[in-house]
Parts: sequence; C-alpha cells; structure tokens
Amino acid sequence: MTQLPLHYFLALAALLFATGAVGFLIRRNLLVMLMSIELMLNGVNLTLVAFNRIRPANHAGHIFTFFIIAIAAAEAAVGLALVLAFFRLRGSVRADEATLLKH
Amino acid sequence: MTDSVFVALAPILVVAFGGLGLMLTEVLSRRPAREGNHESGPSSDLALGTFVTMATGAVVALSLWLVGPENLAGAKAALPFLVVDRFTLFFEGLLCLGAALTALMAGGYLPEHKLDRGEFYPLLTFSTVGAMVLAASGDLLSLFIGLETMSLGVYAMVGFRRGSLRSTEGAIKYFLLGSFAAALLLYGGALLYGVTGKTDLAGIAVALKTTAGADLGLVLVAMVLILAGLAFKISAVPFHMWTPDAYEGAPTPATSFMAVAVKSAAFALVLRVLIGVFGDAESMSWATGWPPVLALLAALTMTVANLIAGRQESVKRMLAYSSIAHAGYILVGVVAMIEPGNDAQASVLFYLLAYTVTTAGAFAALVLCGSRGKEAVSYEDLAGLAKRHPALALAFTLFLFSLAGAPPTAGFFGKLYIVRAGLGAGLNTLTVLLLLNSVIAAYYYLRVMVFMYMREPAPGAVVAVPMRSGYVTSALVLSAVLVLLLGLWPATSLHVALDAAMANR
Amino acid sequence: MKSFEALFFALSALLTVGGAVATIGSRRPIRSAMGLLVTILGICGCYLLLGAELLATVQLIVYAGAVVVLFIFVVMLLGPAAVSGTDKASAIPRYVGATVFGVGALGAGVLMRQLASERLTSTKLVKLPDGFGGIEAVGRELFTTYVIPFELTGALLLVAVVGAMAVARGKQADPTRPNAPVNPHLADPHLADSDPSDAQSAINVKAPTGEPSSAATAANAAKPPTGEPSSAATAAKPPTGEPISAASAANAANAAKPGDGH
Repeated sequence: MTQLPLHYFLALAALLFATGAVGFLIRRNLLVMLMSIELMLNGVNLTLVAFNRIRPANHAGHIFTFFIIAIAAAEAAVGLALVLAFFRLRGSVRADEATLLKH
Repeated sequence: MTDSVFVALAPILVVAFGGLGLMLTEVLSRRPAREGNHESGPSSDLALGTFVTMATGAVVALSLWLVGPENLAGAKAALPFLVVDRFTLFFEGLLCLGAALTALMAGGYLPEHKLDRGEFYPLLTFSTVGAMVLAASGDLLSLFIGLETMSLGVYAMVGFRRGSLRSTEGAIKYFLLGSFAAALLLYGGALLYGVTGKTDLAGIAVALKTTAGADLGLVLVAMVLILAGLAFKISAVPFHMWTPDAYEGAPTPATSFMAVAVKSAAFALVLRVLIGVFGDAESMSWATGWPPVLALLAALTMTVANLIAGRQESVKRMLAYSSIAHAGYILVGVVAMIEPGNDAQASVLFYLLAYTVTTAGAFAALVLCGSRGKEAVSYEDLAGLAKRHPALALAFTLFLFSLAGAPPTAGFFGKLYIVRAGLGAGLNTLTVLLLLNSVIAAYYYLRVMVFMYMREPAPGAVVAVPMRSGYVTSALVLSAVLVLLLGLWPATSLHVALDAAMANR
Repeated sequence: MKSFEALFFALSALLTVGGAVATIGSRRPIRSAMGLLVTILGICGCYLLLGAELLATVQLIVYAGAVVVLFIFVVMLLGPAAVSGTDKASAIPRYVGATVFGVGALGAGVLMRQLASERLTSTKLVKLPDGFGGIEAVGRELFTTYVIPFELTGALLLVAVVGAMAVARGKQADPTRPNAPVNPHLADPHLADSDPSDAQSAINVKAPTGEPSSAATAANAAKPPTGEPSSAATAAKPPTGEPISAASAANAANAAKPGDGH
C-alpha cells in the first residue's frame, strides 16, 4: 500500500516507546504509570508491524503484535486489580505513598 | 509412541492439566466455612494435590531425560517454539522441584495465617507452567508468553495477602518494574526481528552472523535493551529495587517461589538469550560484547547486596538481599562462559540446583518459626530457637551453612564450581571479589545462628508457640536431605548439569 | 496518491504523539485515558498504512474497546482519589532516567534513517501480496505455524483471570450472620496486627449485598478532595503507615465494634 519510507514509522514508534518510558519514570500516579506501559507496548507493536512491511513473505510481525496485544490486556487486568487492592488500603493511587517498605 | 509431540512436552502438559484439575477440585468441592477450623480449608487437599502434580512433572522430566530427548521424534514438532533438549528437561525438573517444595510450604503456611484461599495453588501451578515454557522456549514469541505467564501469576501471589499493605505494595512495585522490564525486552526483541526478519533464537543468531554489519547500531540498541530487561528479571544491582520489597511483602511460600523458581527461570532465559542469540565469538569476546557489562553487574550485585544485607533487622529481608547476592555469584559463572569449552555453564546450572534446595529449606524453616498469623521476621524472633526446638534450629543452621558455602553442603560445591570456572576463564579479580563477598555474607548468616543458639528467648515470642504442620516439616526434611546429598555426593548431579549444559551451546 | 498517504500518516502521527503526550502529561487520569485512546486511534491509522488491516481492527476492539474502558472504569470507581497532586518524594534520579530515555529516543528517532541500513529503510517497498494482513492470511498462519504459542496464551489468560480475582476480590460477608464479628481474633491486638486479610473482611461486612469494593470506596468517599481529615479518612490513612493501620481502619469502619486502643 504505502510508499512512505519505513523509518518514518520506526521513528514514530521509537518516540512512542520513549514517551511511555518517560511517563513511567516521571509520573507517580499508578494509573498513569500503567497507561505509560501500554504506550510502550504500542511502540513495540508499531515497530513490529512496520518491520513486517518489508518482509511480506509471512506475518511473523503481525502475529507477534497479536500476542502482545493479548499480553497487554492480561497485564492491564492484573495491574488494575493490584491498583484497586492498593487503593482500598491506602485510599490513594500514588506510587510514592508506597513507602512502608524501604531499605 | 515416542514420536508424539505430547510425549515430548509431557512435563509441561502434566503440570498444566494438573493445575486445571486442581482448579476444578477447588470449585466443585464445597466445604462449610467453619471459623478457626484449619482442616476445613482448601489447603488441606490442594497442597497435596499440587505437590503430587509437581512431583509427577519432575518424574516425567526425569524419565524423558533417561530416554534421551534425541530419541523423541515428536520433539521436533514443537520447534522452534519449544525446544526439548537436556537443558530444557533439567530446568523442568528443577522448576517442578522448587514448586513442589513451595506447595508443601503453602499447605502449612496459608491455613496458619488465615490466607487459606484456593486460588494460590492454580497460580502456583500455572506460574510454573510459564516458567517451564520460558526455560524451553526457542523463539522470542513463546519466550515472552512464558515470561508473562510466570510473572502475572507471581505478581498475584505476592499480593495474595490483599488486606496487608506490605503485601500489596510489594506486589505493585514488582508489577510495575516487571512490566517495564518486559516492555524493554520486547522492544529489544522487536528490533532484532527488524534486523534479521526472524523471531526464533537460532534463526536470529544465523542472520546476525551474516548481515549484522549493516545494522550494527540497531543490534547494539537491541542488545542494551535486552540486557537491561534481563538484569531486571534476575534482580541484578542497580535493577534490584523491587526485590527486597516484593520478597518481604509476599507470603513466605510466595517469597520462596520467587527466590527459587522465578530466579532459576530467569537464569534459563539469560542463558538461552545470551548463548542462543548473542553467542557468536564477537559478542562473547571481552572487548566487543556483553561480558564486561555483565561482569560489572556481577561485581555490583554481589557487593552492594551483601553490604545492605548485613544491615537488615528482618531475617526475611536479609534473605531477600542474600538472594540478590547469589544472583551476583551466578552471574560470575555466566561471565565465565567467555572461555569456550569450559564448564562455566554447568557450574551455573549446578549452583541453581544447590541454591534451589537450600533457599527453599531456609524459607521453610522460617515458616515453621512463625505461627498463628504472626510471621517470625526479626532476628529477635528467632532468639532461643535452639533451646525450644533443637531440630528446627539444626536444620536452619544447615541451610545457612549451605547459603554461606561451607562444606559439606550443596552450597559449598556450588561456589567451588563457580570459582573454578571463573579462575579457568581468567576472571581473577571477579573471583577474588566473590570470595571476599562470601566472607561478608558469612557474617550475617552467623548472626542468625548466634541469635538461635546464644540468646535467651524473649517471653511471649512467636517461637514460643510454633506451628505444627506435616506439610512444612516434610518440605524441610526433603530440602535438608537434598542439601546433604548434593553436598556429600555432588558428582552425579554435576554430570547431569554438564549434560544439560552441553545441549545449550 | 502519495501526497494523500503522506497526509494520512502526518495525521496519524500527530494523533499518536499528541495522545501520548496527553497521557503522560495530564494531571487527571481520565484525560490520560482519553489521550491513550487518541494514541490508539493514531496507531490504527499507521497499521492501515502498513497493510495490517486485521491488526487495525483488533487494536480498536481490544485496546479501545477493552483496555481503555477498563482503565476508565477504574478511574470512575476511584473517583476524586485518582487525581494525583505534586510529587513529595525526591524525584531527581527518576528525572535523570527520564532525561536519558527522552534524549536517547529523540536521538534514535532522528537518526533512525542512519541507524537502519538502506536495506531496512528503502523507499521502494516491495509490493504486498494480495490479502496480506487480512483476516484469512493471518488466521491461517496463526492456527498452523503459531498454534503452540496460541495454546500457551490460554495459560496466560487463565493465570491473569485467577490472579486478578485473587488480588482484587473482597471477601464477602456471611449473610447469615450480619452482626457477628467476622474475625474473633480481631480484638486481640497481637493477632490484629498480622491478620490483615480478616481486617479486610471487616471493612466489607458493612456491604453485605453490594460489590465487595463498594464499602472501601465509600469509606474513602468520606475523604474530601481538599484533604481535610475526616475520621474515616484518617483511619484509612494513618501517618505512620504501620501494617496495623489496616486493622484499625477496619475497626473504625465497623461501627458495631469500637476500636480497641490502637
């Protein structure tokens, strides 16, 4: 389909991955940290699909992406369950409230 | 019969279907919830069921080992996703052993601490399935699925005591950093796919050899990301922040499972990736590859973890830091693989085996010291243990000796082989550092013994009313026997480790 | 045709990056979730450009339809408590890490042309075979070559379901004994400390009918967003942060059972 050069997509994916990583590192809201991980996984997915574009003999990248989407959904479910459990005890979703265990 | 793929994958299938059976048993058996009646909880029969499942898995892996994976025609059918070789079978047996000991511990611990909910055992079995898939995987795809299956189960096991802030906080930290590490690993994997067009480890290695020069930049980025992700998973310093929190917050059987099975599986992953993908002469050379990075990680991990471990007031947390330090010792063995043809990888495998039985035993002893919802965590909690329960104190001492690496225990030979491999590969500085660290570690292991043997018990201490549980006692006895067996007759298991290492080259 | 594609890509990339920045930059998590949704739409556009039609659909259904909705559901459940204020803890090491990542990625993004060889970035892309990325082609591979990982995903999803349930499900109170203390040991301070799972059930005993989480949420709804300490909020959030707090929170919540001194 597209005749756009591949590195456009790769650069976009790298940016997306890094935005997610930066968000994960600077934000202390557990929900936003979880969403940042989703952003990072989306960056990975875009990379895989883009690389599959120049190797159309099989769908290895597409199928890898397919599984990553499943993994991401499972991860989000367990992560949100943990956030809920944490919120019930702490009344907060801030990661820096998690100070009970130190050193 | 041996040409069926189901035979080749039997250890994984046995554990997976055993887990399904346990779930059905738990759902279909309705017990009256009687307060204070420990016998009525699901643990009373699920723990035994899990133990039997895991033992069966280990026995099946052992029989496949005796048959020889090369005689299994069906093993090829699962390629490239699952590789059935001696390396895989070794880890399948090891992981089943660790999970079986954990199940026994949980059978005593969960009712005693009023956590007796049936979900623990399916989580344990399916985490083990994930760990076995991880150790068996020959493709990035099955590798990530195995990794996530194992990790998601362990996150939930850490947060299993959902009313406890410590448990939930530990689980959240572990989850966030674990997912972050998984994302790093995945991005590295995606870049490798981009450069090579393959997702199976062997195919990537071949393609890297032929075409790597063109995309050296991308390969380097991928290698850095993958190494960082792996370092998170084996909790190497400076990627260890989650470990002490998760280990301390988790219920002790879950801690033991993390220290034993998760760590072994993570090292299986390291060996598979480093040898399978970055195993060419250039990547493995001291000047142009990963060895200096891993050597730095090993040195940092041993030293920092041991220094912090000595300052801990909680025995459970001390054991957590000590497990980080042990990861550092194992990393020395991994770095020693740069010398082709030596037994470095076998020494790593043997160390993992020795470490599994030792650590599981130490945690089982710690479980036995607590009772009725109160864990024994601090050194003071253990004061006077030798007077009240001499047998338990003796077993604990044996495990501490093994952790410290004193003869005639399993830990001694584990350290010996790693040191030998390190010297053989010319890693003199690193090996001396390992020995120095063992001395530091001996200090805090001795401190536990001092409290057990030389202090008077405090009135009303937890150990005054120990828990009684056939499950935990049998876990303790089983690991003590294995520690002594490996310490007195290491030759057999060393040969097993050598054979397993031969398969992954 | 080419300019249309370039325009479409520019739009998708704008949505992706804008959404991502909104996700990590908003103070309110609901806006973050919306940013995530926008990012997902942008990525969908990229997938279409790359010929991944099935994945574009799956992305919409699973990410936008399930994951983002799950996030929004949790944000709604938490209410005002989901908003985070400014950071209290020292953030310097994290900002250093973030800077390293940000600069590294910007560099990588700009240099992607240089990083990847001509082989990977050629503008003359191969023509795609018919049906590439469609449901038939992907499905055929998924159920032949990739059948083993597909089966393994079963274990993954199972463990996620069991794990989420084990962590998040509150213990239901026994409806036959509405006024009985759930845990006879709770009065014993020695046990109350380390018996948090039963303390949890004491919180939930006030909501015998509803969702297990509703009682805990209600306890926190009493906490005003400005941070003025009401008694329930103080009990649920003690300054010391000892594990005993779970038990004392439970005691405060359980009106039938006054706190026993801790």
